[in-house]
Amino acid sequence: MASPLLRRLAAVPPAYYVFGLLLLTLWIARPNMLNPNVLGIFIRQVVPLGILVLAQLLVMRVRSIDLSGGGIILLINYFITSRTFPEASGLTFFLMALAIGGAVGLLNGYMIAKRRVSAVIVTLAVSIILVGLVQFLSSGKPPGDVPKYMNEIFDIKYGPMPLPVLFWLGCTAAMWLLMQQSVYGRYVEAVGESAEAAAFSGVPVERTVVMAHVLAGLIAAVAALVQTGSIAVGSVRVGLDLPILAVAATILGGVVFGRGEGGVWGPFFGVLSFALLFVVMTVFGIDDAGKLIAQGLIILMAAMLYGWLGKRG
Amino acid sequence: MIALLRSGFSTRRSRHGLWGVPLVIVVALVALLSVGTDQFASRENLFNLVAQATPLLIAAIGQLFVILVGGLDLSVGSVISFSTAILSLDGPAILLIPAVFVLAGLVGLINGLVITRLNVHPIIATLAMQYVLLGITRILRPVSGGEVPGVVISVVQGSFLGVPFPILWSLLAIGLAAKVLYGSRFGLHLFGIGGGVAAGMEDAARTYGIRVERNIVLAYVGCSLFAALAGVFLAGRIVSGDPNVGLLFELDTITAVAIGGTQLSGGIGSLHGTVLGAVIMALLANGMNLANVSPYVQTAIKGGLLLAIVGLQSRKKMGL
Repeated sequence: MASPLLRRLAAVPPAYYVFGLLLLTLWIARPNMLNPNVLGIFIRQVVPLGILVLAQLLVMRVRSIDLSGGGIILLINYFITSRTFPEASGLTFFLMALAIGGAVGLLNGYMIAKRRVSAVIVTLAVSIILVGLVQFLSSGKPPGDVPKYMNEIFDIKYGPMPLPVLFWLGCTAAMWLLMQQSVYGRYVEAVGESAEAAAFSGVPVERTVVMAHVLAGLIAAVAALVQTGSIAVGSVRVGLDLPILAVAATILGGVVFGRGEGGVWGPFFGVLSFALLFVVMTVFGIDDAGKLIAQGLIILMAAMLYGWLGKRG
Repeated sequence: MIALLRSGFSTRRSRHGLWGVPLVIVVALVALLSVGTDQFASRENLFNLVAQATPLLIAAIGQLFVILVGGLDLSVGSVISFSTAILSLDGPAILLIPAVFVLAGLVGLINGLVITRLNVHPIIATLAMQYVLLGITRILRPVSGGEVPGVVISVVQGSFLGVPFPILWSLLAIGLAAKVLYGSRFGLHLFGIGGGVAAGMEDAARTYGIRVERNIVLAYVGCSLFAALAGVFLAGRIVSGDPNVGLLFELDTITAVAIGGTQLSGGIGSLHGTVLGAVIMALLANGMNLANVSPYVQTAIKGGLLLAIVGLQSRKKMGL
């Protein structure tokens, strides 16, 4: 890359370009869809993904990955909708969700940081166990209805702004503060740069990675609650494709294993890009098969861009 | 012989990995199932067992190639589904069968080039490939159906002198892999590259003049070709194309390879261990079927097994 300007432009996370491009496409093809009310509805749909992305970017910053979010979402959704605990209040469900997420995250973190097991294998295996468990408990049938109050909270709007979207913005800002301002954020950055160097500098590497996975589990639990609020009836398939989409959105947003140029807002726009992408593909009548291909190509191209940039500098 | 056996139980000195443990597990499982159930030792069930084990065995051998160089291929399952979809298209067998292998080779080539030339992590590259291939497969064959060439069905379902063809498929795949891994320079280089990667010295093999990139690309091509072979076998068994037949195969193959004592960090592992690993997976599935364990629970148990096995392998570096 010859000119410094070009290099600066290439260092901007692809999410911003993709987002702009999709917005332009939509503006040309369906200008009437670009009003706050319609977009608000579409963006509200990706809020669970947006929250899960916060978990994914945290673990990817420490050179790990978490694919167990789908299993966590499925299990929490099952417990809420199956009437396994008929008397449980909203607070009970909230605490139970956090307990499940935290426990799964702790297991992931222990296996990855202490036992040094491949993060992909651990979190995939955990996800498979959770999915198998839910399908066994429910015999593969949809469990039951979502409590009314959860749907009602999900439907609250302030003007054109849905409450879930505001909540997502709040969570993202909180994560931004954690990464920017806290000692833990510095630890995460150090471990991502080089685990060896961080260890020699006195950073508690293992604890940082375990903590990242526990936080990721807790965030996945919050995503599960939002996801449950977004549907009327429980399902044994809900949320299963979210972890992979979260990886894709994170990479698109400029956070790759150990490198965090995209910060927290890059992946945020990665998720918004996916929201627009689904709109655009629906507008152009592209079916599920086409969506799979598009997802795969986006992951690949974003990763290729970063691989290429990494080789250069 | 004793030295060889001892190497199977020792974590030092051997590049074959801990293959003695899976051997003991196989013997124990066979003994347990023969005594515990009436049906296990029946001729019918044993034939069934071999037919179940064959596709996993073939695909696991392919996975072994890339794991030996410290990589991982998550597109194995989608290559299998894709292969059955190609075979179930309208067209003459003479065209469809080579097409399967050419396309699979191309998939492996793209995987390998993206990983080595463009510096993309193997897990991300093959995950993306999995998505693209699943999408293409669903376009070709949205739901299971279509007709598979008769020749494929007859070479999978027939038998010769009382020996069912699936056994011959397994032996053929094992023989081919043995030649590649232990009887060629390429095989030796795979161990060399992986040994360096596992020790944290990615350039070790290059220092000795091994063409690292080219061998890694070839490992991914080999993996996809073996996956395609497993796909052709499965197409002959289910007599149709099925977009979901390869679902979770990538994890089953990784589990089989890991149970067989192969280190996922690369460089240490063996073909015989992988064969034993695939046999263990098949015996477990067969035993759980005979014991009427719910298929959902079987999935969960397989996940737990994978977790336990990889939990026992400690690596030097943390990460993916």
